[in-house]
Amino acid sequence: MSETRFKTVRNLPPDHLLGTGTAMCAGCGGLEALHQIYDILGEKTVFINAAGCMTLLAVYPFTPFRGSWLYTAMASAPAGAQGVRDALDILLERGRMTAAEDLQTVVLTGDGAAYGMGLSATSGAIERGLDFLYICYDNEGYGNTGQQTSGATPHGAGTATNKGALGYPGDKKDLFAIWAAHRPAYVATVIGAEPLDLARKVEQAMQLTGPRLILALAPCPTGWGFDPDATVQLGKLAVETGVWPLKESRGGKTMHTKVPKKRLPVEDYLKCQGRFAHLFVPERKDSVLLEIQAKIDAYWGAVECHGAVDP
Amino acid sequence: MKTASRILGTAFFLEGFEVQDAPRYGAERRGAPISAYVRASHREIKERGIIRDPSLVIVADETLVPMPAAGVFLGLSAQTMLLIHSREAPEVWRDRLNVEGPIRTLSPPGEDRDRLAWRHIGTVCAAAGARLVGVVSREALAASLKQELAGLNAASLEENLDHARWAYDLMEPGQGRVAPGRWLSAEAFPRPEWVDLQYEDARVAAPAIHAAMTSEQVETGLWRTRRPVIDPAHCKRCWWLCSTYCPDSAIRVDESGRPQIDYAHCKGCMVCVAQCPNHAIDMIPERVEPNAAMAGKDS
Repeated sequence: MSETRFKTVRNLPPDHLLGTGTAMCAGCGGLEALHQIYDILGEKTVFINAAGCMTLLAVYPFTPFRGSWLYTAMASAPAGAQGVRDALDILLERGRMTAAEDLQTVVLTGDGAAYGMGLSATSGAIERGLDFLYICYDNEGYGNTGQQTSGATPHGAGTATNKGALGYPGDKKDLFAIWAAHRPAYVATVIGAEPLDLARKVEQAMQLTGPRLILALAPCPTGWGFDPDATVQLGKLAVETGVWPLKESRGGKTMHTKVPKKRLPVEDYLKCQGRFAHLFVPERKDSVLLEIQAKIDAYWGAVECHGAVDP
Repeated sequence: MKTASRILGTAFFLEGFEVQDAPRYGAERRGAPISAYVRASHREIKERGIIRDPSLVIVADETLVPMPAAGVFLGLSAQTMLLIHSREAPEVWRDRLNVEGPIRTLSPPGEDRDRLAWRHIGTVCAAAGARLVGVVSREALAASLKQELAGLNAASLEENLDHARWAYDLMEPGQGRVAPGRWLSAEAFPRPEWVDLQYEDARVAAPAIHAAMTSEQVETGLWRTRRPVIDPAHCKRCWWLCSTYCPDSAIRVDESGRPQIDYAHCKGCMVCVAQCPNHAIDMIPERVEPNAAMAGKDS
């Protein structure tokens, strides 16, 4: 691994590239991660945005970006990225653009597209070795339309489509593992509450070519049911309880970049969110709480057996 | 306001009316203006969609009055009663808005101007509206509240009922003053103002934006209900923290290393207040000066 220019938080960029005035909710964890990522990526980017909350970033005639942004249907952002990358390559080949003017092709989608509808197009793009960076802001549901269950919704969470006493009966899909199984150039999980870890990973991704994923957990005040001021606090809890492992994978090898020394009980994370309130009132659902905790313990048990490396 | 429209709609329904009630969202975002409609009639309602000639317009948040996106004046005529939740007198609003129709104001109870204290605003607006139209009884209103707020606990429901009674009583002088709307026939309905667009090449027709960062022209600072204020005496200038965590890039660091909050765009999420390690950022209620809000400036 090469030297990072982000040794301490003081190395984080003081100027921000993403413009203000977007339609994202106050306290949006996805926007927090995006603005931190954009600061590292720089202006020479073209974003290919699938339908989702962040469609509303650029609503004619307003855009917060300094460069190009292309809107695609929900399932087809990686296909859009292929077109953009090919067009840039043709311009380079014909000498109509210099290498210095080249742009990074960046897909931006929510979890609805990344974990579900767009997975086929993503798999194809990785297969073809497309040189692109995929950013997913994962708020664990279809947030833009009122937080319906998505492939990223965690077990037990209440959503607009799982209003029952036990919430969503399924489990969160492991998108990191799905990507890693394709053996792409780089896969990493990040969160806006850990900006230094995020900056190092985006820096890593930029030094590589080929398909790269930056998967950001995006605490969502509106969809998860918490006060907007708790976005960072909740993000830190996701890491400290072990719910959101910070890790990266390259060359088939996975490393955890931040292993919580003493994991906090997952309840600390769950009980401050409205989407899990039914697990605590009117009576505690101990079986569900124990089940969620057991899955986290099993994950970290396996990690600790192998040092910080994934089994 | 969606709940308010449901409360009023259900109250009409319990009085034997045919009813439509529907919310209308703009950008589906916390802090974005929202309105809702109620139509009630003893005849079958064949109209659909938004109400184009309202008999009564209730404004829950007076800061929305100057915002075109909120559409407060949509279809307002000399017959339309305007009820504004505001401490200002009706005469002040008449001077300010230059409208002909009757204006009433509903002054929020207590001295607290913290907008977070307006928890029962939906109920209050629905109850005031019910009295002004004059055909909804106290009993129907209470029954409607119990039905629509069934998900609340008993104490919250009781609080809402108290607020509803208060607003219903307060509006007694205006009972029945809302003029019923005209019965529109399909022929009289205005034709949509369609603009025919010819099919153009994508290079011409695509809504391409040719300038960077134009979103900064959108003043999302108007969303704020609470305002973060940096105390320079306690700020340790660890700029990376508030500035990096701010989801909206609304905190910039000046050349001396001091963070500056961009109040024209800060949405008031208070992440900076929660994260400042030196507790150097205070949180104060947003006190909207209506005149300043009119000019689109709030800082």
